[in-house]
Amino acid sequence: MSKQFQAIVVGAGPAGSSAALAMARAGLDVALVERGTFPGEKNMFGGLLHRMTSIEEIFPDFWTKAPLERHIAKKGTTFMTGDASFHVQHETVNFDHTPYNGYTVFRPRFDRWLAEEAVKAGATLINRSTVEDVILKDGRVTGVTIAGRKGELKAPVVIAADGVLSFTALKAGLRQPKFSADQMAVGVKALFDMSREMIDDRFGLVRDQGFANEYVGCTGGVRGGGFLYTNYDTVSVGIVVHISSLRNSGKTPYDLLNAFLEQPQFAKLLSGGRLAEYSAHVIPEGGYTMIPELFGNGILVAGDAAALCNATGVNLEGINLASHSGILAAKTVIEAHERNDFSSKTLKRYKERLDLSWVMKDLKGFKNAPKMLHIDRIYNEYPELVCSMMEHIYRIDGTPKTSIPKLIMREVQQKIGLKNAVSDLMTAWRAL
Amino acid sequence: MNIDEIFDFTSFTIDREPHIVLKPEVCSGCDVRGCVNCCPARCYTWSEAEQKMTFVHDGCLECGTCYVVCQRNAFSRWQYPRGGFGVAYRMT
Repeated sequence: MSKQFQAIVVGAGPAGSSAALAMARAGLDVALVERGTFPGEKNMFGGLLHRMTSIEEIFPDFWTKAPLERHIAKKGTTFMTGDASFHVQHETVNFDHTPYNGYTVFRPRFDRWLAEEAVKAGATLINRSTVEDVILKDGRVTGVTIAGRKGELKAPVVIAADGVLSFTALKAGLRQPKFSADQMAVGVKALFDMSREMIDDRFGLVRDQGFANEYVGCTGGVRGGGFLYTNYDTVSVGIVVHISSLRNSGKTPYDLLNAFLEQPQFAKLLSGGRLAEYSAHVIPEGGYTMIPELFGNGILVAGDAAALCNATGVNLEGINLASHSGILAAKTVIEAHERNDFSSKTLKRYKERLDLSWVMKDLKGFKNAPKMLHIDRIYNEYPELVCSMMEHIYRIDGTPKTSIPKLIMREVQQKIGLKNAVSDLMTAWRAL
Repeated sequence: MNIDEIFDFTSFTIDREPHIVLKPEVCSGCDVRGCVNCCPARCYTWSEAEQKMTFVHDGCLECGTCYVVCQRNAFSRWQYPRGGFGVAYRMT
C-alpha cells in the first residue's frame, strides 16, 4: 500500500520541522517522517540555540511560545591548561531583553514543540519510522520507503533533513559516499543537575539569564574545545573534538571529557552537581567546502544533511542555519507546486535562495575558518602562553619585573616561535 | 568522577538485531582502529589475542563517529535503528 502526499520531509529536527511547518501553513499535504518515538528523542547538541530569525517571522513571540530554558545574557571564553585558566567575558543589557540573542534548550523538548507546531498547521507526523531508501523513477525522487514496513510514502518532492550523515541525500546521489574525518567533529556532553539558586549564585545570573562559556586548551592537545551552558536547573558541559585529530591522538572522548571535568578551576563550577544524562553526536565542521549537492530532481537537502553548520571558533551555529534552510526549501517546494514542476530546473531556486541569504553568506565569509581551526597550536601552546604570561604579570616574588612587551616577546619565542605566531595571526585574520 | 558511570545515564530501547554489522576480515586487516578510541560509547573492542573487532550495539548513541572515522568501509551494514529503537534522550 502506498500513501500519497504533496511533500515528504525526512527528519523532524529543526530543518525538517521548519520546512514542514512552512509548507503546511501554505496548505500543502505534508508528511514529516521521524525515526524516534517522538521528534527530538534522538537529537543532541551542545545546548545553545542562537536567535531563530526565520522562526520569529512565523511566531513573533517565539520566546513566549517555545519550551526554552534560559536566554543567553553573558558569554565567556576561557583559555585553560591543566592547572591554570584565563577568562574573558562579555555581558550587555542588549542581550537581556527580547528579541533575545540566544537560549539554552533541551532538544527532546524543543524539537518536539516545533514538530507539533507543524502538525497544528496540518502536517502529518509519522514517528517511529526510519527511512530506508528513496524511490527513484526515471531519475526522479518520487517517495521513500520505511525500514521494516511494507508500502511506501509517495510525493513529487522529498526534503532530506535527516541529519549530518543524511542517508537520504546519499541514496539520491547528492552526497559523496565517504566523509573526510578532517571535516567532522564529535561532541560529547554531560548534563548535571544543580539547583536553580546554585546556578544563579555561581554564575552571577538573575531571572531567566543564562551563561554560555567556551573553553580552549581543555582537550589534551586534541583539536577542539569545551563548553558550559546553564539551563534552568541543569548545566550542560562537554567537549567537541575533530575526529581526525582524536583518532590520531589515540585518546577517547570520554576520558578527555573527564579530564576537563576534573581541571581544578572547572571542577569547582560543577561541585554539588549530579550527573543526569550523557550524549554524543557528530557535527559537520567542514564549512562551505563540504556542502553537498543541495537539490536534484524531486529532492532538496537542508540542515546538517546539507552540512549547514558554521563553526568559526567564536560561534558554533547550526540550528538557526538548519531552520532557515528548511524554510527556504519549503518556499521552493510551494513554488514547485504552483508551477507543477519538480525537476531540478525549478528546485535549483532553493540553492539560489540560500546563496542570497545570510546562511551561505556567512558560510562563504568564514570559509577559511576550518583552516584556522586546524592550527594545532591553538589547543595547547596558545592557552599555555596566555596563562603563563598572566602568571608572570601577576606574580610577586621579590625579583625585578620584566616589562610586558619584553615578556610577550620572550614567551612567544619560547612557546610558539615568532615565525609560527606571525603565520597563525595571518591565518586567523583571513579566517575571521 | 568515575567515568565508567557516565554510560549508565543514557536510556535505550534495544532491538534484537544490530543496526551496524562489521566485515570481520576488513577489521582484522586494519591497523588504525580509530573506531575503538573515537566511539563515545565504548561500543568497539579490539581483541589482540583473537585479532578480532567486536561491536556491541546496546549502548550505541547513534552519533555517527564510527561511520566517519572508518576509512576502510568495514561495515556490511550501517543503518540507524528501526523506528522506535535505539537511544532515547530525555533532556540533553
